[in-house]
Amino acid sequence: MKIQKSTRDILLEIAKHKRVYVEGNFLKLIEPEEGDEEFEEYLKLCKEKDSTSRRKRLEVTKQVQKQNSELERAQKENKRVNRQLEKALNEAIDSAEQSKKSKEEAEKAKEELEVALQLAEQSKEEAHKLKSEAEHAKEVAETDLSLLQKKTQTELMGSIVRVALWVIMGVGFVTTGLYVFVLLLGHDSKIIESTWSNLFGILLTNSFSIIGTIMGVKHANGGDKK
Amino acid sequence: MIDSLMLVDDENLFHLVFEDACSLLDITLALEALDSSDEADKLFKKWFTDGPIDERPECVFVDLNIIGSSFDGIELIRKINYEYGNGVVIGIISSSQDEQEIEKARAVGAQFWIIKSDDIEPRLEEFKADYEGYKNRTAPFKVYK
Repeated sequence: MKIQKSTRDILLEIAKHKRVYVEGNFLKLIEPEEGDEEFEEYLKLCKEKDSTSRRKRLEVTKQVQKQNSELERAQKENKRVNRQLEKALNEAIDSAEQSKKSKEEAEKAKEELEVALQLAEQSKEEAHKLKSEAEHAKEVAETDLSLLQKKTQTELMGSIVRVALWVIMGVGFVTTGLYVFVLLLGHDSKIIESTWSNLFGILLTNSFSIIGTIMGVKHANGGDKK
Repeated sequence: MIDSLMLVDDENLFHLVFEDACSLLDITLALEALDSSDEADKLFKKWFTDGPIDERPECVFVDLNIIGSSFDGIELIRKINYEYGNGVVIGIISSSQDEQEIEKARAVGAQFWIIKSDDIEPRLEEFKADYEGYKNRTAPFKVYK
């Protein structure tokens, strides 16, 4: 694109006195007239200045962009760390709650155990009591049994003594009767006399033997009891 | 040189970098920078339905992830190519090198994928050399690494 001479002159004048040059992509469209070396130089200078300023801006922008990227990365990292911290904190809170819950459960279990121990103690005491009662009952039963046995033995011994005494007395009376009868009738009493004597002796011996045996047994029973 | 170029990118600082780089490399005369795919979508829809279609830029650079927009760069390319009449040189400019995303972009009609980094000028220079091929639809899809 070619521009009018008046415009060209104004542009050159501004550049000369104010040091202000045309910038931007508009420069790429402007073409100088053939042989106009002054304006060609001007456009060349404008393009150089534009390129220099663009290059500077590009470098600065790149630098800023790089820093911005680093900041964004740091921000992302911060967010990630914050998330991790938040997660760790939540886990810690959960753990604390869990610990509290476990502690409460442990305390509850402890209380239940204490109640169970008390019950066990009570049961033990009751068992002891029952055992004592059972032992007492056993002792009573044994005493009763012993008394019953003693009574039975005494009764048995009494019966034996009675029967034995009756037998002895019976035999004594019969033998004595026979002896008296023989004496009264006047028969030969030698045989009956010796027989009575022997028999009476035997009977007395047996009587004392029986009584002695009974007394011995009785004495022995009395000693066992002690 | 490209007459008019549109950049759709949510990063305003990159707008300045791109503008200066394009100016220094004589890539384009006019650059329009937008920070939202919704805004770009609205403009292309307007040009397609109401015209004039000549107002459309010659070439469009789209960022992959445009924060604050309803859809990403690949969807914007799909819309421009399949809903608003195609006809522009279009591609992605992104720091991502995800092969799956690159494949998706190619599938919706992107013609190039430029990796965005601190040193963007060499890639833009390479792109400038290939531009005529994209305009004629003869150049294959290319990733500028």
